[in-house]
Amino acid sequence: MTRLRKDSIEHSRRSFLIGSVGSGLLMAFAPSINALEVITGGASQQLSGKLFSPTVWFEIDNNGAILVNVARAEMGQHVGTAIARIVADELGADWSHVEIKHVDTDPKWGYMVTGGSWSVFQTYVPMSQAGAAGRTVLIEAGAKLLGVNAHDCTTQNSMVVAGSQSISFADVVKSGKIDRVFSADELAEFKPKSPASRQLIAKPSQALDIPAKTNGTAEYGIDVELENMVYARPVVPPTRHGSVVKGVDDSDAKKVKGYQGYQILNDPSNTIQGWVTVLADSYYGAVKAGNAIKVEYDVGETANVSEQDIISQGEALAKDKTSGTLVVEKGDITAAAKNAKTSLESVYRTSSVLHFTMEPVNAAVEFKDGVCHVHCGNQWQSLFLPVVAKAVGMSEDKVIIHQYYLGGGFGRRLAGDYMIPAALTAQAVGKPVKLVFTREDDARFDCVRSPSVQQMNAYWNAEDKLLGIEHGAAAGWPTLAMAPAFMPDGVDKKGKYDPFSIAGADHWYTLDNHRVRAINNTLAQKTFVPGWLRAVGPGWTGWAVESFMDEVAHKQNVDPIDFRLSLLDASGKNAGESPVSVGGAKRLAKVLTDIRKQTNWGQSLPKNQGLGIAISSGQERDMPTWGACVAHVEVDPETGAVKVHKLTGLLDCGTVVHPDGALAQTQGSMLWGMSLALFEGTAFEKGQVKDTNLNTYSPLRMNNLPELDISFVQNTEFPTGLGEPGLIAVAPAIANAIFNAVGARVRDLPIRPEAVLAAMPS
Amino acid sequence: MIEFSLNGKKITSDAEADTPLLWVIRDEFGLKGTKFGCGIAMCGACTVHFNGSPVRSCSLPIGAIANAEIRTIEGLENQHPLQKAWVEHQVPQCGYCQSGQIMQAAGLLATNANPSEEEIEAYMSGNLCRCMTYARIKDAIKDVATQSDAVVQIYNPKLESEQTQGVS
Ligand code: FES
Ligand code: FES
Repeated sequence: MTRLRKDSIEHSRRSFLIGSVGSGLLMAFAPSINALEVITGGASQQLSGKLFSPTVWFEIDNNGAILVNVARAEMGQHVGTAIARIVADELGADWSHVEIKHVDTDPKWGYMVTGGSWSVFQTYVPMSQAGAAGRTVLIEAGAKLLGVNAHDCTTQNSMVVAGSQSISFADVVKSGKIDRVFSADELAEFKPKSPASRQLIAKPSQALDIPAKTNGTAEYGIDVELENMVYARPVVPPTRHGSVVKGVDDSDAKKVKGYQGYQILNDPSNTIQGWVTVLADSYYGAVKAGNAIKVEYDVGETANVSEQDIISQGEALAKDKTSGTLVVEKGDITAAAKNAKTSLESVYRTSSVLHFTMEPVNAAVEFKDGVCHVHCGNQWQSLFLPVVAKAVGMSEDKVIIHQYYLGGGFGRRLAGDYMIPAALTAQAVGKPVKLVFTREDDARFDCVRSPSVQQMNAYWNAEDKLLGIEHGAAAGWPTLAMAPAFMPDGVDKKGKYDPFSIAGADHWYTLDNHRVRAINNTLAQKTFVPGWLRAVGPGWTGWAVESFMDEVAHKQNVDPIDFRLSLLDASGKNAGESPVSVGGAKRLAKVLTDIRKQTNWGQSLPKNQGLGIAISSGQERDMPTWGACVAHVEVDPETGAVKVHKLTGLLDCGTVVHPDGALAQTQGSMLWGMSLALFEGTAFEKGQVKDTNLNTYSPLRMNNLPELDISFVQNTEFPTGLGEPGLIAVAPAIANAIFNAVGARVRDLPIRPEAVLAAMPS
Repeated sequence: MIEFSLNGKKITSDAEADTPLLWVIRDEFGLKGTKFGCGIAMCGACTVHFNGSPVRSCSLPIGAIANAEIRTIEGLENQHPLQKAWVEHQVPQCGYCQSGQIMQAAGLLATNANPSEEEIEAYMSGNLCRCMTYARIKDAIKDVATQSDAVVQIYNPKLESEQTQGVS
C-alpha cells in the first residue's frame, strides 16, 4: 500500500502553474513526467493547452467565482468540500464564491484512486501549497495594482488587502496578466497555514454536494442517458471463473415486448468468463428477458464450493505455523512458545460480507469517433481503464471514463469490472448500451469481503508474564486478484503478501515476541474475486486482535483497559514518526484513558448488561487514526439476542479539516461496524453467495439505531483519514461487552444469537 | 395506454401494464430522482407518493395506477420543509437513498404531524440507508415536526390531495 500511495501523491514533487487563460486565472500542477522539461512556453500557454495534471486544479473567473476541479470520486465523504476548503483557506477565498466540479478521467492525467480514507491525508500538503502559491501570485499582482509593497498585503474574503486599501480577486484576475511557474522546490517552501490563522479548515461548513442530493438532481451513473441507447442486463454465470456458454435458448425471451436479442461476450481481458447480456428497448424488458432466457454452461471448477469449504481451508492454514508470509517478526515466538508455562489459543472467523451499495453497479458505454466513452461512478479509474482498453482492443488513450456521483462506494467501486460487460456489449451491437445489474445480479457479481480465519496464540512464562503473541490470518486477497503489483515482500523476503489483508495485525502494542503471518486462502481466491470492503484489512483483523486482547486480559485477571495501557508504552517502533504518526502509541493511550472517564468505565450496570472496549489505529501504520470505542450492550439470556444501547467513539485524526463531514463519516462507519458485527453475513453455496437481496440480507436499519456519542480529540496534528477507521473497533467492543454482560465469548462474525446462547456459561 | 397524473400533470404511458412505475417515471419521463435499489419493495429508494401515500414504485405495476396522482421527489419542487431540514442537518452522504427517505418522511408527517421517536423509527425502518445516515434522518424529521403549526396545516390529510402532497 505504501507504493500505491507514493504513486498517487507524487504530484507533491511537481511544479505548479499559474496563468491567465481567457478572461480567468487557472492554477494547476504540471504533468508528472518531466515536469520541468515540458514547461517551455510559460504557464499560460501550458494551461490554455491543458498541458497540466488535472488531479486537482482550480480556476478564478473574472467575477471572482472559484471553481475547484476534483478528480476524486464523491461517494458520500464530501471529499470535494474538504479539498476545496484546504485550497480556499490558503488562498484567503470567500467560501461563498467556491464551487467544486468532479472531472472525468483521461489516461494522460494523474493517478486516480479514492479509497482507504486517503483523500484528505494525501492532498493536505500539496493542496495547501497550491493554495499558498495562488495567494502569493494574487498578492503580487494585487500589490502592483494597489501600488503597495507585496509584503504588506494579505488575503481575506477573496480580497487582497493592504491596510485600508483592498482589491478583489475578481479585479486582480480581470486586470492582471499573470504567468508564473513554481518549481517543486519552491512549492515545498510553502508550509501550511498555522492553525490559528486558518479561516476555513476545521471550522463548521456545509458540504457542497448536499443540496443536489435532497431534490433528486444529483446525477449518478445509473441516471446516464445516451442518445439511441439500448438497455442491457447481464446473465451472471454460475461460477465467477471458468464458466463457458454452451448454448442459449431465448425462445421465451422473444415473447418479451421490446426484446432485442442477446450477446455472448468474449472478453480478451479475461475479467469475465461465460457471460451473456440481454438487450431490450427498456430496462424492464431486459430484466424480463433475462429471467426468461435459458443459458447452458460448462461450469468452472468451483461450482460446488461452500462457505464451510473455504473456512475449513482457512482453519487448516491458520493452524499450520509454517504457512503464509511473515509480516511481523519480533523476538523469537517459537522459543517463547517452547518455554511457555501457560498458553491461550483462540480462532476467530468472519463470514462473507456483501458491499450492497444502494446503487447497483452499472455502466453506460458509447463508441464515438474512435473513442470508447464509459459512463459510471468509479473509485479507481486508473486501475480499470487499461482493462477496458484491453477488453475492447483499443489503446488506453482511446478510453475515457466519465465520472458521476457514486451511490455508495465502500470499496465495491474500486473494482471497475462492471464496465467490461457494458463495453463489450456496446461494441458488439454497435450502439450505445446502458447495462444495469439488478440487485441480485449485483450481489452475485460482488467482490465480497472474503471469509476469514485467524488463529491467535498467547504465551506466558512461569511467572505469569506475557511472553508474546502469534497471529495467523487466512483469507482471499483482493490485491492479489486485482492489483498484484502492489504486493510487497514479507519481512524475510520469502514471498509476497496483500498488505490490505493484514493491516491492523501490525498493531501498536509493544510485545517482546510477536509474529504475524498473512495467509492466502487459495480456495477463496479461486471461487470469487475478493474485494476491498470499508475499513479493509483492519475491518476483520481488528476483530481478532481486539477480542484476543480482551481474552488475554481476562486470563491475567487484569482490567482490559489497564492491560491495554500497559502495552501502549510507545517504545521502539511504536514511538511514531513526525509528522503523520507523531506521538505513536501514546496517542492511543490517550484516547483509551479519555474514553474510560467519558463512559464511566467500571460503573455497575443492571443484570445482563455490560460495557466493552476496543481500540483501533486506522487503516495502516503509516497513516494512523487513533480510536477507541466503548459499546454498551444488553443480552437476552433466553434467546442470546444482543441489543446495543450505546456506542461511544473517540477518535484522534489530527486536524479535522471538515468537522461535520468527519462526524458524518464516523457515524456511518461506526454503524457499519455494528451492522457487520450483528446483522451482515452471507455464505457461499454452490460457488456463489446465497443472499442476493434484502429479503435475506439485512443490514442495520433505523430501528436498530443505538445512542451514538462521537467525539474527536482536538489537536492540530497532521490530518489522517476518517472514512473507515470508526468501523474497526465496534465489533470487538460489542463482543467484549457481551462477555462482560453474560460471560459468553463469541469469536465469529456476525455475532448470531444462537452463538451467544451456546457460549453462555450454564 | 394508461393515464395518470405525474407531479400534477396528466400524462399517458404506453408501457406494458406489468411495468413497474419506477421505470416509467425514470426512463419514459426522465425523472431520475427516484432510484432503483432492490426491486422487491425492501429498500425504499424508489418511494413516491400514490394519491398522497408513500409507495414503492419498483413493485407497483403501472396497470394499477390508472388515474392516480403520483408525486416524485421532483414534485416537491424544493419547497418541502424536509428538504431544507435535510440540508441543515447535512443528512445525505452518497445521497442515493435520500429521495426515498424524504418521500417516506413526508408521508409520515402528512398523517402524523408530531411523531414520537418510536413512530419515526417504525415508519422509516423500511428505508435502507447504506451510508447509515439514520441519526441525521431522525433528527431532521424531528426538527420539522416540532416546527410551527403551518407545517401541520400542510400535512393535514383531510385537506384536498393537492395540499397533502406537501407542496404549498
Ligand atoms: S427499489 Fe423499490 S424498494 Fe428497493
Ligand atoms: S446516503 Fe448513501 S445510501 Fe443513504
